[in-house]
Amino acid sequence: MKINVNTEIALTYLLSRPKQTIVASLGVMFGISMFIFMQSLMKGTNDYFEKSSFSSTPHIKLYNENVVADLHLLNSLPNDNSVKILTNPKQVQQNQGLTNPYGIINSLYKNPEIANITPQVTAQVLYTSGSVQITGTVAGVNIVEEDKMFDVKGNMLQGNFLDINRVNNGLLIGKGIADKLSLHVGDNITVRAGIGSAVIMRVVGIYATTIKQIDETKSYASLIQAQNLLGKDRSYVTDIKINLKDYNNAPKVARDIETITGYKAEDWVHANEQLKAAFKIRAIILNSVIGVILLVAGFGIYNILNMTIYEKIKEIAILKAEGFSGQAVTSIFLQQAVYIGLMGGIIGIIIGYLVTLMVSRIYIGAGTLKYLPMSFYIPHYIQAISFGILTTIAAGFFPARKASKVDPVTIIRG
Amino acid sequence: MAEIALHASNISKFFYDPVKIPVLKDISKDVTKGEFVSIVGKSGCGKSTLLYVLSTMDTDYTGELNINGTKVTGKSLNDLARIRNSSIGFVFQFHYLLPDFTCLKNVMIPALRLGKLSYKEVEEKAYEKLKMFGVEEQALKKANKLSGGQQQRVAIARALINDPAIIMGDEPTGNLDSKNTGIVFDLFQKLSKEFGQTIITVTHDEDFANRSDRIIEMTDGEVSNHGK
Repeated sequence: MKINVNTEIALTYLLSRPKQTIVASLGVMFGISMFIFMQSLMKGTNDYFEKSSFSSTPHIKLYNENVVADLHLLNSLPNDNSVKILTNPKQVQQNQGLTNPYGIINSLYKNPEIANITPQVTAQVLYTSGSVQITGTVAGVNIVEEDKMFDVKGNMLQGNFLDINRVNNGLLIGKGIADKLSLHVGDNITVRAGIGSAVIMRVVGIYATTIKQIDETKSYASLIQAQNLLGKDRSYVTDIKINLKDYNNAPKVARDIETITGYKAEDWVHANEQLKAAFKIRAIILNSVIGVILLVAGFGIYNILNMTIYEKIKEIAILKAEGFSGQAVTSIFLQQAVYIGLMGGIIGIIIGYLVTLMVSRIYIGAGTLKYLPMSFYIPHYIQAISFGILTTIAAGFFPARKASKVDPVTIIRG
Repeated sequence: MAEIALHASNISKFFYDPVKIPVLKDISKDVTKGEFVSIVGKSGCGKSTLLYVLSTMDTDYTGELNINGTKVTGKSLNDLARIRNSSIGFVFQFHYLLPDFTCLKNVMIPALRLGKLSYKEVEEKAYEKLKMFGVEEQALKKANKLSGGQQQRVAIARALINDPAIIMGDEPTGNLDSKNTGIVFDLFQKLSKEFGQTIITVTHDEDFANRSDRIIEMTDGEVSNHGK
């Protein structure tokens, strides 16, 4: 085994003062384990919120948006050279449906980024049971595809979600609606869409998502049922919901789809801006806390190395007299910093993992959140140890440089 | 005429704090290979200062210094460190061993730094040197567990590990009793006579000086007597 003499001296110095070495690496250890714990918690929380937002929102939603009136019709009059001015333009009600929705769906499936597409008919409705009325929406969906995209099955409390295809006038209602109107599976409910006539429907199932507002307003019916409620034909579709293979590409793909179809394509990032803002704020809080911890650990190392150099100044002078160059002396002290960092880093990673594991078993029981969401994500561990080592190198650099500048003559002569 | 181990010409040095004072005034001298030279003089006459200039550790001087025929004046600090490592050995008034290391390691470190021999070879050589000075029994003890005389002998062994051309001593016996002084002197004499190593020591000890090959006397920064 061949150890460099600088390394040997560095290790001997560390081992001859075990207490100091341990205290210094404890500082790094706390920093690193805290880093891992906080990162895991943050990523876990972000993932959880992202997932729960995707339980009701598709990655991209394609729909027909009302537009502000413009001059194009007036300007298309033949043989007319007058100047037209449109004052106080208003929104123009578009035909709510999409034209040729199944044609659009077929062409969208050619995009390799897209994983799932399902059409939907959304109807604003009034639910009535007994003398109580509440407003809400009925989503007419292909329930099998809907289940693939949003895991309807996992949210079911009672009944079978497939029954909306089997039972005539079957309706799948949210838990909030069921509570407010005291409905159970098998009960009847009167549903009236804005302009259509009232239809008596049968509750075939009750579901609950993580979002209370949805549970209190939304119910599922088959596509045909929703079209009937609105008195529309079989090709009437209000939204096309699209899930991608990688949801991070949503903004880009949404722009492409908008250009191709001419309809409004809203991606989840825009639909959930407050979520993104929360992610950002959490990241800032986290990074400042970790930054402070690593800074403190860095000062600890700086302090200990500085003291060591003060203590060992005669020995440094001797080493220089024996022919150690400034670089060699720098290397001796920088190596000490690196070993402290490495030791603290490795223990920190282990402790960080254990703490994360322990915390992930703490029961929270808030809403649908049972346990603290923690993620075990390898890059966090790599980041942690590289930050730890970077900090220790930065902290060791100045004392090491000071040591390299020791003038042997003044020290030896006293 | 014997080979010149060290050649100094017109060495001058000043201290600037608080005022400019000359400490070495235009010193020129040659030391031949295998010579045992003592530099003597009153306190403050500049003999230690001269030694540190000759040792290449102090670079703040004017004039020219050649060691083994190589001009060392004006070389970079890294080059000087390498020269010290390979061709100069030091013995100080205090042993200055590294207390965290064993005696053996203390002796080995300069050779490991030089990197010419394998770890095993260095270890064997260090043992040999310790044996030569009768302290091989202490090889695996920490340096601070030894008596003063033993420590100084280990320090001399350390100075010799790289077979340097020149050994420099700054009052190597200043801290020793007469018995140990005798031992150290005999060792030095043996080195110069049997191994042909050049020895330059600064000393206050008249007996020690008188028994060496040549005495250089210094007064007020000048060489007042070159010996032979």
